[in-house]
Amino acid sequence: MTSPRSDHRKIFRFAAVFLAGLVLVSCTGCAWLHQVFSLSGPQSTMVTEGPVARSQWDLFLVTCWVTGGIFLVVGSVLAYAQIKFRAKSEADEKSPPPPQGHGNPLIEIGLIVASVGLLVIIAIPTVRDIWYTHDVPEAEKGNALDVTATGYQWWFKFEYPNELVKLPTGGEAPLVTGNELVVPAGRPVRVQLRTVDVIHSFWIPKLAGKVDMMPNRPNFLWFKAERPGYFYGQCAEYCGESHAIMKFRVIALAQADYDQWLARQKQPARTVPAPALAAAGLPQVRFASLKLNDGRALAGSTEFDANPLAAWQKMQEPAAGENPALIAAGRKLFSSKTCISCHTTRGHEGIGITGPDLTHVGARSTIAAGVLENTPERLSQWLHEPAHFKPGNKMYFGGYLVQDPTGAWKQNFTLNDAEVNALVAYLHSLK
Amino acid sequence: MAEAIAKSAYTGGARAPAKKATFDLFARPTAKTGLVSWLTTVDHKRIGMLYGGFAILFFLIGGLEALMIRTQLIVPNNRFISAQLYNELFTMHGTTMIFLAVMPLNAAFFNLLVPIQVGARDVAFPRLNSFSLWVWVVGAILLNVGWISHVFPHMNFGGAPDVGWFGYAPLTSKAFTPDLSTDFWVLGIQVLGLSSIVASLNFIVTIINLRAPGLTMMRLPVFTWMALVTSFLLILALPAIAIALVEVMFDRNFGTNFFEVSGGGQPILWQHLFWVFGHPEVYILILPPMGYVSEILPTFSRKPLFGYPIIVFSGVAIGFIGFGVWSHHMFTTGLGNVATAAFALATMAIAVPTGVKIFNWIGTLWGGQIMTRVPMMFALGFIWMFMLGGFSGIMHSAAPADAQQQDSYFVIAHFHYVLIGGATFALLAAIHYWFPKFFGRMVPEFWGKVSFWLIFVGFNCTFFPMHFLGLNGMPRRTWTYDSNMGWNEGNLFATCGAYLLGVGIFTYFAVLVWSLFKGQKCGNDPWDGRTLEWSIPSPPPEHNFDAIPSVHARDAWWYEKTHKDEIAKEKAALIQAEESHGGIHMPDQSWYPIIAAFGLLIGAYNMAQLHHPVVMFGNQIFASHLPLGIAGGVILLAACYLWSLEGPGGYHLHLGADGKVTESRGDHH
Repeated sequence: MTSPRSDHRKIFRFAAVFLAGLVLVSCTGCAWLHQVFSLSGPQSTMVTEGPVARSQWDLFLVTCWVTGGIFLVVGSVLAYAQIKFRAKSEADEKSPPPPQGHGNPLIEIGLIVASVGLLVIIAIPTVRDIWYTHDVPEAEKGNALDVTATGYQWWFKFEYPNELVKLPTGGEAPLVTGNELVVPAGRPVRVQLRTVDVIHSFWIPKLAGKVDMMPNRPNFLWFKAERPGYFYGQCAEYCGESHAIMKFRVIALAQADYDQWLARQKQPARTVPAPALAAAGLPQVRFASLKLNDGRALAGSTEFDANPLAAWQKMQEPAAGENPALIAAGRKLFSSKTCISCHTTRGHEGIGITGPDLTHVGARSTIAAGVLENTPERLSQWLHEPAHFKPGNKMYFGGYLVQDPTGAWKQNFTLNDAEVNALVAYLHSLK
Repeated sequence: MAEAIAKSAYTGGARAPAKKATFDLFARPTAKTGLVSWLTTVDHKRIGMLYGGFAILFFLIGGLEALMIRTQLIVPNNRFISAQLYNELFTMHGTTMIFLAVMPLNAAFFNLLVPIQVGARDVAFPRLNSFSLWVWVVGAILLNVGWISHVFPHMNFGGAPDVGWFGYAPLTSKAFTPDLSTDFWVLGIQVLGLSSIVASLNFIVTIINLRAPGLTMMRLPVFTWMALVTSFLLILALPAIAIALVEVMFDRNFGTNFFEVSGGGQPILWQHLFWVFGHPEVYILILPPMGYVSEILPTFSRKPLFGYPIIVFSGVAIGFIGFGVWSHHMFTTGLGNVATAAFALATMAIAVPTGVKIFNWIGTLWGGQIMTRVPMMFALGFIWMFMLGGFSGIMHSAAPADAQQQDSYFVIAHFHYVLIGGATFALLAAIHYWFPKFFGRMVPEFWGKVSFWLIFVGFNCTFFPMHFLGLNGMPRRTWTYDSNMGWNEGNLFATCGAYLLGVGIFTYFAVLVWSLFKGQKCGNDPWDGRTLEWSIPSPPPEHNFDAIPSVHARDAWWYEKTHKDEIAKEKAALIQAEESHGGIHMPDQSWYPIIAAFGLLIGAYNMAQLHHPVVMFGNQIFASHLPLGIAGGVILLAACYLWSLEGPGGYHLHLGADGKVTESRGDHH
């Protein structure tokens, strides 16, 4: 037989465990719910890093306050009416109907006037910000960097019209890069928006709202990154099969870093001095993880996500322990597998312009339009199965496969592990 | 008054038809039951039920498409479905829900209710009504025919349409979508538009011309008013999309350059034409639901609608301003500052008449005796959810802020609050409310309430987090996403909510099916209603009214209930008068509407694949589909010609003193 005292203890213990459990569950639940409603992602429109995005978020807050205020008032009245005038019993329902009133024009017109007044609160900053977000402010125009962004199915080309590079054939042309736009922090950037195929939309949520890239219709937008940073961008207009993974990055650097980057970019493709290739052909090295990682196309590793700008900076320097023989073999394959007909490697053999410019691809933090981190493993996976990571892409349909006159797809070339390995070494040497 | 009414043209049969100059290829069908009776029906109630049945079927299909989309997005980098299939699913989910679910459900209620609410025996053009129904079915088939090629890959349709419900040029160009799916999409939408225009003209004429004596415009039930406004919106908005679709069709098949960039075409033109249709379309979807709610709230508050004239005028105002706000779908296309500002302000302006309706609905509840039956719960849910959708709509009108929200999940949250929380909640309320009228049985309250709460909670769990996903930078139409974007939890939560919503919708319709057979039988006025449909038996007889009602007030039936003696006297006189004119005149069934629609199906199906050779059993029969397309056109024109030769036909019903109805034919006088 237990004493009442020990009973109390048991109850107490049970209650304590129960409460602790409840606290635990509700804490994890709340933490989880906090995640559901969080706005802290790399494309958050709330975490603004420049004046354009900030004015857009501030205007959004104005609309929130006004509509929130209306909701509080109207919702309270509605809730009150629902509770107060509810028939609470059978008798209520059976009682004679209430007075059959038809309305009150004075109240109705009063409410119309009040709503117009509230909308004016939104209208004024709206009109102001339409003009502000449209173009670089007059005072800063002289300091603005001009860039042209062009949408392709499904990647972005970036051109610096005022930064000319010497072409191997003689003459000069604007600097071209792909999928990673590098800009100086603290300076306004005016981006001309073009497309070569369908409509795309250029969106860097932390820096500026989107503007569409319309065929036969030149558009532009402006933004300013207030401090150095690594920003995510994405195509926001449905543009076909791989629209969902048409991404890009904006890397903002301090002016000195930017100048250094620019100087490197203006160099032709880097050549690693190579000894004569052994007669045996390609070195037989394999990557450990050529499997497709459960079909997941993870953009970044944890270290990368922790400080993407540092990760990007690390990419600028040639990797230690480069294998010149392998790189030279890769360069040969880049020609023999017809990569050169779509990709430019300025100073090397590549002269194509339908795909991204790869002159400095080794210095980019991502490949395949921001889908994959630019590591040797990812690049080799990408080269093995481009259609897996980006369905419908033109490197696979048009490169690996070509269409015969009847429209059927035929294999153009294949890549074995060793060939991929050499291509990866070559591409990563292009710093 | 009764004598004046008896003399009026409303008593039917007053017009003597010209001597029989008709030609019947098919004997005029007279079956009242069985398959033929449904295929050839001209009865607005049966046509309404067919519209409703097909629409609910497509509503469930569209819902399954949505669940597949949500399943794909449940975790990052999911490979449940391919990018291509995903794009087909979101295209068809949008197209299906708009054109094949909500619009035809509204059309179902137009058919079921408008003639009864105006005190008529049918619509103005009964055979044309049947034609719109079957043409709509043809459009639905054309839009969905592409799914077949997933099952039979040798049927070379290229899958279902995958250009988005908005079909932005130049993605619809042959260069980017060379397969047939886009051709079927173009013709499918075109055919659906034809159906809507025909139906709208029919309802405009019905509402303006067939109103019962005493039913002035300002006594019309609000639902009928909204049906009228919606019909006008349809006939004014659809030509824009019809033109745009013709241009796409010509670009794809006949080498024109309306949107072909290489030929100097302007893809932006498509967006203007599409949204000049597409924005009024939003009101086409939401005005009838505002009508249902404006009928349901007074019934379950037991008092008239607060501010009837303002509700009606604001509905009309929404219709007008709705044509002047289309470019708010295009704030990111580089319209220019002045245009952007103008459309931003116009968009704010349209919030006013919409807000006014909400104020008036609250005014209706105020001082009432609110009875929370299931239709009322859905109607109240509508007000709350539509209000939230309206607020996020106002947020979009601030164009610079919209530059961040446009094409993000924030927009998805917004328009699902308007189209599920708004239109669908109101439709579910309406189905529950008028089900007893047309099937004579009640839906059990308990299970109705269970389904309401499942739907309400599921809906909010699905779509509320999407506001945050959008503000956190998640774009729409996104087949997959990376795990490091901060979208994982929100998507998982939304998908769980979607499953709950699916369970709720399933419960709702399962209970409806059960009630169809086992529901408790009910009389003519189970809810203590206020409008004319509650004055006639449930289900209504073929001829709706024994005597065409005479209307003395808004809420005509409420007036009748409170002035029983006066109305009874009037009614007896009216029945007498009508019988002396030869009885109740009813329209005949006809084969021609469905045959004409069949011709349209053959024609459109073949014209969609115009440049492809016709191959049968491995042999090429024709070099193109043109001969078969022409054959379809010939069937269509022949059916229309024979339709006009057939003559109006008709027969008379006679009400016996014992309440029995007898039929007589060929006694026109």
